[in-house]
Amino acid sequence: MIQDKYAEEIKGILARYPTKKSAALPLMHLAQREYGHMSREAMQEVASILDLDPTHILSLTGFYTLYYEEPVGKYVLEVCNDLACALKGADEFAAMASEKLGIDVDETTADGLFTLKTVMCLAACDRAPMLQCNLAFHEHLDEAKFEALIAKLRAEAASGKMAPSVVEKIAAYAKQS
Amino acid sequence: MSDDLVTLSVDGVEVSVPKGTLVVDAAKKIGNDIPVFCYHPKLEPVGMCRMCLVEIGLPMRDRATGEPLLNEDGTPQINFGRGLQTGCTVQVSPGMVVRTKTDPVEQARADVIEFLLTSHPLDCPICDKGGECPLQNLTMRHGRGNSRMVFADKLHMEKHVPLGDLIFLDRERCIQCARCVRFQDEVAGDPVIGFHNRGRHLEIATLSEPGFDSYWSGNTTDICPVGALTTADFRFGARPWELTPVATLSPHCPSGSNMTVSTRREAKAGGRSVIKRVMPRQHEAVNEIWISDKDRFVHHFAESADRLTQPLVRKNGKLVAASWTEALDVVAGKLQQAGTAVAGVSGDRLSNEDLFLFQELFRKGLKSNNLDLANGRLAGGDIVAQVGISSGSNLKDLGKGDVVVVVASDLHEEVPVWWLRLKQAAERGAAIVTLNVRGTRLDKYAKHALRYVPGEAVATLRQLVNQSKVETDGQSDDPIAAAAATVGSAGNLVAFYGAEGLTYDETESVAKLLANLLLLKNGDGHAGKKNNGLIPVWPHNNTQGAWDMGIHPSFAPGYKALPEAGLDAHAMYEGAASGTVKALYVLGADPIGDGLMDGRGKLDFLVVQEMFLTATAAAADVVLPAQSWVEREGTFTNAERRVQRYYPAITPVGDSRADWQILAQVGERVGLGKPALAASLVFRDVVKAVKQYKGMDYRSLAKYEKQWPDVGGDDLYYGGNAYENRSGLGQQWVAAAESGKVGMFEVAETAVKSSPGLKLVRTAALYTPGTLISHSAALLGPRMAQPTLSLSTADARKVGVADGNRVEVTANGMTMTATARVGDAPDGVALISGVAYVPGTAVVQIRKLQEEKVA
Repeated sequence: MIQDKYAEEIKGILARYPTKKSAALPLMHLAQREYGHMSREAMQEVASILDLDPTHILSLTGFYTLYYEEPVGKYVLEVCNDLACALKGADEFAAMASEKLGIDVDETTADGLFTLKTVMCLAACDRAPMLQCNLAFHEHLDEAKFEALIAKLRAEAASGKMAPSVVEKIAAYAKQS
Repeated sequence: MSDDLVTLSVDGVEVSVPKGTLVVDAAKKIGNDIPVFCYHPKLEPVGMCRMCLVEIGLPMRDRATGEPLLNEDGTPQINFGRGLQTGCTVQVSPGMVVRTKTDPVEQARADVIEFLLTSHPLDCPICDKGGECPLQNLTMRHGRGNSRMVFADKLHMEKHVPLGDLIFLDRERCIQCARCVRFQDEVAGDPVIGFHNRGRHLEIATLSEPGFDSYWSGNTTDICPVGALTTADFRFGARPWELTPVATLSPHCPSGSNMTVSTRREAKAGGRSVIKRVMPRQHEAVNEIWISDKDRFVHHFAESADRLTQPLVRKNGKLVAASWTEALDVVAGKLQQAGTAVAGVSGDRLSNEDLFLFQELFRKGLKSNNLDLANGRLAGGDIVAQVGISSGSNLKDLGKGDVVVVVASDLHEEVPVWWLRLKQAAERGAAIVTLNVRGTRLDKYAKHALRYVPGEAVATLRQLVNQSKVETDGQSDDPIAAAAATVGSAGNLVAFYGAEGLTYDETESVAKLLANLLLLKNGDGHAGKKNNGLIPVWPHNNTQGAWDMGIHPSFAPGYKALPEAGLDAHAMYEGAASGTVKALYVLGADPIGDGLMDGRGKLDFLVVQEMFLTATAAAADVVLPAQSWVEREGTFTNAERRVQRYYPAITPVGDSRADWQILAQVGERVGLGKPALAASLVFRDVVKAVKQYKGMDYRSLAKYEKQWPDVGGDDLYYGGNAYENRSGLGQQWVAAAESGKVGMFEVAETAVKSSPGLKLVRTAALYTPGTLISHSAALLGPRMAQPTLSLSTADARKVGVADGNRVEVTANGMTMTATARVGDAPDGVALISGVAYVPGTAVVQIRKLQEEKVA
């Protein structure tokens, strides 16, 4: 229960806003950092802290792409396939990535390392195809570059020197802003 | 011309509308239908669907002088800007010029339709909405007739998503207008459905427990402009064009909600005309275009398989089928034999015609005043006749500066439509003052939420009334004084009162105190003025009519005091037990099943007129099968004293007869002459006897005028599928204070009786099991309120009960079992819900039952 574990932090977040409802997004980041994703239980927990109907938190989770409703891997690869990227081959790139990783879009590899997603506009249309991996941009991609990226990430994971997980990074960014 | 009116032109037609009106509504006023999907006149505009794009031009002014710029011919120069604008979000302004028939507008409409249809399955032939679908209609009117998109690219999604037990979502059909989401949030105040995800993947979803389970859920299917939301009741039930709409009224709710039953003759019902659905019928002064789910789904009792179909007469200890002639002869004979020891109780769901003839039978035929409501929980009909809410009032008119007082009632459970309308009054700025034994859902919208201790309601209200006479600056730490200051400064004042936690006598004192509050300032008070007055939260749809018709031991029809009062219901039940009452006529009520009466006692004769074999009917000597409200016509009088008609909709079940017919036939046998041939003729006699109804007849009650916003008929794109009201708005009768002075009421000082111990208070639940709901169980069964006893944490500890325990509850000699809930009650009070009747405000004994071991 985040309510007990992070009582002080939650109090601090609530104090920043005139109404409880406004604290929904930061509390959701906190819950996602704790549980790794926004499970239904996490949504209900946030809703109960804020005296909101859980449906409201479900709506917010669905609206923002950086809240994950399903568990995600250590590395979340988000390929932009909006119009401009699609014209530069983003769909084919995503299909290639999917084949290399052996998973469909929105799935996670069996080792729990990679999740592949497609997302709308990351504002790097001129550098397509591109993806973001745990919020870091990788641009002007092709098959070779993708394979190199995957190999590097696999090595990093094997070495045990993992960078922070995506939900930790998201929560950290949210805290700064 | 008034400053509040703005004049603009739409396609060359001038129209003047109130300031703040939206362009779509202004156009609608002059019959110009700007198509919309997301816009709804009862919801805040959002401009999401883009269907209402029009050209909007404003008069140009010289920047230097501010003078209007004119063309050479002297007409104002109009600037149309560079693009189209959404007519649902732009407010009118003086001199505005709107063009709705130009090529760019028609092009925009065709484009929006084309885009909407790319994600729409076009499964109209199997869609419940097909035939009355705004998307279908607007596509026919504005669509291009073909699509440039690839049909095979359509996104296919789930078609049977239950959002709750009652409402299903077809994800493919949804056009993402959010009418349903906005309705639940803005109107119902119950935001249990929301948008999930974005773009083409957007869907209506819920994470609430237990799902989409709102008292208002059915209304979302009316305002849904496509077939995305359907009710479990009507889903795949019929095609809309096969249905015959018949005007009706809520069969249980004192609001008098206007509804329409849609019927169809069916082979599988043996060619009978049956109910396929119930929908709202617009009445802006009663229920606008909303009905609660109970109103919508409870109709199944009328076609329930266990309806009584023929008269039953007890022979050799058994109820056996008999002819009407035989049954009526037995009833008339036995009633007459009983002489003065005859008595009658009635329910309050029957029509005015039924109740009037019941009264005629007793007073004129049997010469007895032993006549009462079977379960009269709330007193004060005679007080309402004096200071009831004035005719012509509309809760929709209440707003800033006005005050609404609600005493001893949980409107959300008892009359949901009033709760909805008071919530909206509060949102318009009206101050709500609640005075209850515990917190209710209305408190969230109340300016002052006051509490009383059981037994002290009258004293607490007296304090409030007395203090509101005193001029204060409104600043007080005492909650009663603060509320009194609010009440004292009310522009309009409406007072509701119910019976929660009150004895019958207490409700009378409460009614009188509220009457005095309305009469304050020596007769120059609120009473008698429009949008002011008293509204009783009657338990049923025609309790008001029962009072008007003289179903009371001391009043004849029209509130004429009788020289000699008869027995009240409780005296009758005691008389039945002791043998002083010999014959009892029970009309549309179940006193034995409700626990008011302990079996038939020493009665010589018990006759029950009913739709079902209730516990009382099972104990009777003769059972007369009555028709349900949809099989016959009649009038109900709502708690705002509006007399309204309802009409026959389905084929009568078996050999049942209308209650008024049966009573007229019994009356004929005791010497009351030839029975009337039609309900309308009985109503003529009602009007002769009840002076308040003067001037009414079935034709005047059927008069209607166009309601705004324009909902129903061909306009279903605009306000949804609620039916237009073409069958009558009814007539409100005039309270005495409207036409003359009314004196203050004497309210005796009552000593506060504070006996020690937990007090039992019955609280209302919309789905409390009763005759109607228990026979509509397929849909409403899972929602029925189970007997629940709520205790405060401290009290629960004292009696050794934990949350979820099964407990035995005993009060005033009545024993019930219930499930305990801990934490939701004030100290010293045990709240019980889900039961029909609890005697008085008794001290209660609670015993924990041993849990049955589940293997």
